[in-house]
Formats: sequence, structure tokens, C-alpha cells
Amino acid sequence: MQHDTSSLPVTVISGYLGTGKTTLVNHLLRNAGGRRLMVLVNDFGELPIDLDLIESVEGDTINLSNGCACCSMGGDLFNALVDVLDRSPRPDHLLIEASGVADPVRIANIARAEPDLKLESILSLADAKTVADMIDDPLVGKTVSHQLAASDIILINKMDLVGTINRRQVTDLLSRAAPGVRTIETVFSGVPIDMALGIQLPENPGKIIEEMTGTHSDIYLKWSTSTETRLNRDDFESLLGKLASQTLRLKGIVYFSNSEDAHIVQSVGNRCVFERSTESSFPGLGKTRLVAIGLKNEMDCSALDGIFRQML
Amino acid sequence: MPITIFQAKKIITMDPARPDATHVAVQDGKILGVGNLEETSGWGAHQLDTTFADKIIMPGFVEAHCHLLAGGMWKYLYVGFHDRVDPDGNLWKGVSSIEDVLERMTQADAELPPDQPLIAWGFDPIFLKHQRPVKTDFDGVSSHRSIVVMHSNFHVMTVNSKTLEIAGYSAQSTVDGVLKGEDGTPNGELLEMAAMFPIMRRLGIDFRSLGRSREAVTAFGQVCNRVGVTTAADLLNDLDDENVDELQGITGNEAYPIRLATMLNALSQTAPETVALALAAKARSTDKLRLGGVKLVTDGSIQAFTARLRWPGYFNGAANGIWNIAPEQLKTTVDLLNENKIAMHIHVNGDEAIDAALDATEYAIARHPRADHRITFQHCQMADRAQFRRMKKLGVCVNLFSNHIYYFGDQHAAITIGPDRAARIDACRSALDHGVPLAVHSDAPVTPMGPLTCAWAAVNRMTGSGKVMGKNECINISEALHAITLGPAYTLGMDGQVGSIETGKWADFAILEDDPTTVNPLDLKDIVVWGTALGGIIHKIA
Repeated sequence: MQHDTSSLPVTVISGYLGTGKTTLVNHLLRNAGGRRLMVLVNDFGELPIDLDLIESVEGDTINLSNGCACCSMGGDLFNALVDVLDRSPRPDHLLIEASGVADPVRIANIARAEPDLKLESILSLADAKTVADMIDDPLVGKTVSHQLAASDIILINKMDLVGTINRRQVTDLLSRAAPGVRTIETVFSGVPIDMALGIQLPENPGKIIEEMTGTHSDIYLKWSTSTETRLNRDDFESLLGKLASQTLRLKGIVYFSNSEDAHIVQSVGNRCVFERSTESSFPGLGKTRLVAIGLKNEMDCSALDGIFRQML
Repeated sequence: MPITIFQAKKIITMDPARPDATHVAVQDGKILGVGNLEETSGWGAHQLDTTFADKIIMPGFVEAHCHLLAGGMWKYLYVGFHDRVDPDGNLWKGVSSIEDVLERMTQADAELPPDQPLIAWGFDPIFLKHQRPVKTDFDGVSSHRSIVVMHSNFHVMTVNSKTLEIAGYSAQSTVDGVLKGEDGTPNGELLEMAAMFPIMRRLGIDFRSLGRSREAVTAFGQVCNRVGVTTAADLLNDLDDENVDELQGITGNEAYPIRLATMLNALSQTAPETVALALAAKARSTDKLRLGGVKLVTDGSIQAFTARLRWPGYFNGAANGIWNIAPEQLKTTVDLLNENKIAMHIHVNGDEAIDAALDATEYAIARHPRADHRITFQHCQMADRAQFRRMKKLGVCVNLFSNHIYYFGDQHAAITIGPDRAARIDACRSALDHGVPLAVHSDAPVTPMGPLTCAWAAVNRMTGSGKVMGKNECINISEALHAITLGPAYTLGMDGQVGSIETGKWADFAILEDDPTTVNPLDLKDIVVWGTALGGIIHKIA
């Protein structure tokens, strides 16, 4: 693969008007947790920045006090991306907020094509209250369905506004409109940053079953494991699908028996990617480590342990 | 100030009170009087200028939908199927075989410094009698220089092996739009922005700067001058202060031969910001730089299958096109712009997009009635008569893309929308029959700039293969001349200053070698343009 760990990860945030994209971007900027995010806004909505976060404004770019930045790209994604790639230093992660009617695949494809970028994921938002109407809308229905079906993960937002029966209807509807796409229920676009943008590996791994802290602990679960044993690549690849099916996100450094190099593995929803690491040293060199996040009601940590042990 | 009286063989004024004249008196850049020598001499001491004694003078043509890129593209090598004239007046014959393309490129390669990429534009393989060219064809031109051949639709490029290398494309690439040959390696053809991005970035191919540089704006003025255009509207721009400063500087030069209108892209910022920017820009207008209008892009284009069509959709079964703005957002945006009395140019091609724009316009003007809004639907190619009736009721103007009949008409009948709907594209007759103010345009560089060609297309409705498409939509020559002068001037809100030769208006003229009202209608596009005058200053084609 041409992409490696030095490529800038890109997350495309998709969703029709009013689904909460702006709220999500604001939430992620506020809870960036040390990551230097750069957000390109491809919408005609207000720049989604709370005033108290703004440190300075230069032209179309707003710099935030936590190292993040937000940039209005107007109608010109090409030049906005060229500018981001020319920045020094580059941000840790690029978020592209697509317009309400944009095809997220067309944006994601740029990250797939450009060697200095890599696609992290397509996140879509659906408004639990209106998604059924939007999918049936004669003018934008197909656009909305395509956005949802093309995603790695759908955040079903504003779930607090619908009752239990409607909740069921919404999830059924999405499983038809976006078959196989993993969904998360959210309120005010609230989602942990590792869930939204991918996991950052902890410095000191150890086998832990850790409940997520804060407001999300009732929904998500985190699992991690490690081993000094080198893995057989074929075994690992065939079991990865099983791990991924229980988790929403998985990330790890893996050492295979047939290679000296560290490999980075990452899965989001149902999609897995491998990258060969360009960094010569990781903390705990030679030690395979995996971390995953999933929904409490979907993920069974002891089952994951079992799957992982089969590889050893 | 001194008075100059220009004598002509004939002056076609477009003013029904005095349709023909022989003399026009000019003072301070404005028309002082129109008539014969005796009538125009009544203003007093003057100088008689007989430069045009054997020429036809018309009002300077108004091209109300084109792009500054029409000047900038000539930085690159033209390899299109149709003849084009560059800003310096060189005729670039259309290429009809791959051998011609390669020969032209080989010649350019020899003249180019070794470290520069060779970039060509306007390529249209469907017209070439040869199987679709691939990387190896261009490797023959150069194996060590990057070669990029941009297709005429700007959505596809074909590149040589060296260029594939710099983007890292190989047999292992799984990128959408990187086409592969039978041997499993990329064949050089790259579809859509994503696949083209790594190459454009690395070779510095940037259409925005191509349309913004001083060279581009200057070349654009020359392109206009060659075809008799004295007022041109650049239909999409992200205007910042710096850009306005530069445009003021360039257009302010007496040697710059046109009045330039440029429309702010309404989709680059929020609607309230668009209002503020448009009003601020408007205040910076000069006699030669007209600002304050905005452009809203609703759907895509028919030939790229990105226009939004109503049932039954595309003739070849292609999926419906794309919205560039959600219909409900179009509604609220048009509403706010209308409330603030901003001039709006709304791009619509497909009939579903036209409905959406009509709904938005109706909603907006019902909420904030505005007597003279001149909202103009740009392209508006698939409008049917029911839609023209609504446009009339709502006071909407149309600027139809008549050149499409010639350049794309055959494909529209065979592939995109089928023969029946193709027969009614760019329905000039329907517009006039329903009393909808009409202009026609080239959208240069999409098709070559040339108002007489646009008029020719509207009069004859002839396709590239020589068929007449939708004869009932033909208009007559005087209607077509109106659609390249006063018609577009009206859509730009400039019909009080340009578009006809009348006392009090700017002395902007197109100087022609023949009389368009008496030539064979099929020869309309071949009338030779001698040059123009702008504010009484003569700009002979260099």
C-alpha cells in the first residue's frame, strides 16, 4: 500500500441538513484530547466554533487554543486540501465536514488517492426524528440513502427525541437503507473521540477491561490486549474479521513472524486496513498490542480474549 | 470635451425608435447622438472619424455567462476537436486524429523547458477516429516529462507513465477512477477529481489561479475583444478584497477592452455572509467593473449526467444527477438574498433543478415582494413550456446555453435525454413566446466565446452532425441579435447603459465587416469582427 503512518488521516463527516454535523464538529474540537485536529467546513452553515475556544483568526482559518484549527473551504475543496497538506507542521487528523447534499465517497476517494492522505473513516449522521422522511423525500431521498449506505459508522442522533417504538423503527429503517453499516445512538452528537476518530494507542499497554469514563460509560466498552509472541499473518487476518464484527473500532501494533517491521492494523465498522509503520521505534518495541471499542450490548470482552488466544 | 462623430456603412442600433443610422456622435465615452451626419452635427464642433465608413457598427456584444478561465486556459496547449482562436488571434485548428494530437504535443514538447510538465486541454476522444488513447500513446511524446491531457469536460485526464509514477499509481492501486488496462496496470486515464488530485497537486494545476491571475484576466479581455464583446460576466468568483483591488486595477486601464461583471459564489459562505460580501462588493463597482451579483449553483450538467432530471430521467438509464445545494437550502438562501435585494444568477440545467429554483423564487418573492428582481436562470436547458409560464409569472429571466445545440445536441438526442427532450433544449422560441426576457451565452471556456455563434445556434439550431434539432424553437435574426445585446444587458441590470446605441448610453460598439441582418442565417457565425470600441476608445483586434 502506498499509504503509511506518515499520511494524514482523514475523516469525512456526512449527513443531511440538520442532522448535527456542526454539533459533532464542535464536540470533537472541544474534546480533542491532545490531538491537533484540522476541520474543513464544506457547508454553508456557520463555522462551528464556540467563541471561547478561539485563539486567533487568519483569513479563512480559525486557530483554537487547544492546537486545533477550523478552515472554511468555500466551494473549493481542491485548494483547501492543497493548503492543509502544505501546512507545517501538518495537523494530526483532518476532518472534512461535507455539505448536506455532498457524496461523501467523492471526498473520501481523494484521501484514498492522495499518498499524503489516508482515509480514516466516513461518519454519517442521521436525525432519528426525520431520517424516515428524508429517505422518502422525492428530491433528496436517494442522496441521503447513498450517504448513509456509504458510511463506515452511522451516528443516529437526537435519539432522546423519539420513543422506544420509533427507535426500533429507525434502526430497522437504517438496516434496510444502509445494510451492514454499524450504527451508534447518540444525543447532541455526543460520542467519545476515540470512537469518532479512531483509537490512540496507550503508552503502557496491559490487558485491561476498562469502562469508558464519563457520560459514555453506559454505552461503550473498551478492550485491550497484548502479547510478546509473534503472530502468524494468515491466522491474524482470518480472525480479524471476527474481532471487528464485535467492535466498532479496533487499533493495534502487530508483529508478524515473517517480518521485522511493525504493522499498524485498524478497523472501523466492517473495514480493516493494514499499514506498514514508517517509525523505527514504538514504546514496547516488538510487543503486539490491540485496543478496541464497542457497544456494551454488542461486545463480549471474554469472547474477544478467546478469539485473540487462538492466534497465539 | 471634444466630440467625435463615427461614420459607418450602417449602424444597427437595436433601438426601435431609430433602428438604422449612419453616424454616431460620442463625447466623454458616451453616445451624444445617433442619426445621419446632419442630425449628429447639431451638437456643434466635432471631428469626423471615417475609420468605420465601410463597416457595420452594432452595440458591443454582451456575454452574460462565461468564465475568466476562458483567458487562463491558454497557458496550456489546446488539443480539442473544434477550432479555437487563442487570445493572440492564432487559430488552433481542431484535431481529428490521435496522430494530430501527438504531433502537436511533440512540437510543444520540443519548445518546453525540460523541468516543466506538458499540459494540454480540450481533448475529446469520442470525436477521434482511433481507439481511446492511453498512457503509451503519450509516452511516445516524452517518457521523462510529465504529460497531462485534460479532457474537454474537465472531469477526465489522460496522462503518461511518468505522471502515473509521481502519483504513485501502480497495478496495486485500488483508487476509484484510476482505470487499468488489460495488463492490470493503470492505463493513464483518470476519472474525476479524486483520481486527478495527486497529479494536479504535484504539477500545480490549479484552475482557480488559472482564472484569477493578471495574465488570465488580461487574456480574457483579448478573447472578448476578438468576438466583439464589450461587456462580459464572469459567472463564479470568490471575491476577496485583494482580488477586487487587482480587478479594479486591470479593468481601470484604458487599454482593457471590456466592462467586466463578476458574480460572487453564494455557496462559499453562509447566506448572511453572502449578503454582506455582495453589498460590500457592489459598493466597489466602477464603470468597468460591475460587482454585487451572486451565483447559486443548483445542479450539474446534462452531458456529465450530473443535472437533476424529473421522471423519466436519463435516456441511457444513468442515475439522477447531483444537487450542489439542497432544494430547501436554496429556498432559504434565495429568500434572504431577495430580501436584501441582491441580484441572483441561478445555475439550473435539468428540469427538476428548474422546478426547485422556481419554487425557491416563488417562495422568496411571495415573502418579500420585489418589483424588479431580474433573477436569472442560467443555462436552464431543459425548461418546458409549463416552466416558462411560471418564469413569466415570477418575473424570471433566462440565459440559455444555445451553443449546446451545436456542440452537444447529437449526444443529447442519442444518449443523455433522448430525441424528444433534446429537441426542446435551450428553447429560445418558448422563452420569447411566453414573454420571458432572453439572453444566450457560450459559458466559455466550455464552448468558445462568440456571441454571433450563440446567435447562429439559436437561429439555426443545427447540431454538430448538421441536423436541425427542434425547428419550432428557432428564433429569427433580430431576436437573436437582441439576445446577445440588450437581452443579456437586461439580465445584468445594465440595459440602461449598454446593449443598444442610444443617446446617453456608453459608446460601446462591435465593429463588423458584414451586416448580420442581411447575411444568410447560416453565415451569421462567420461574420468577421474588426474590433470594438469601449467608451468611444477604439480597440482594433491586434
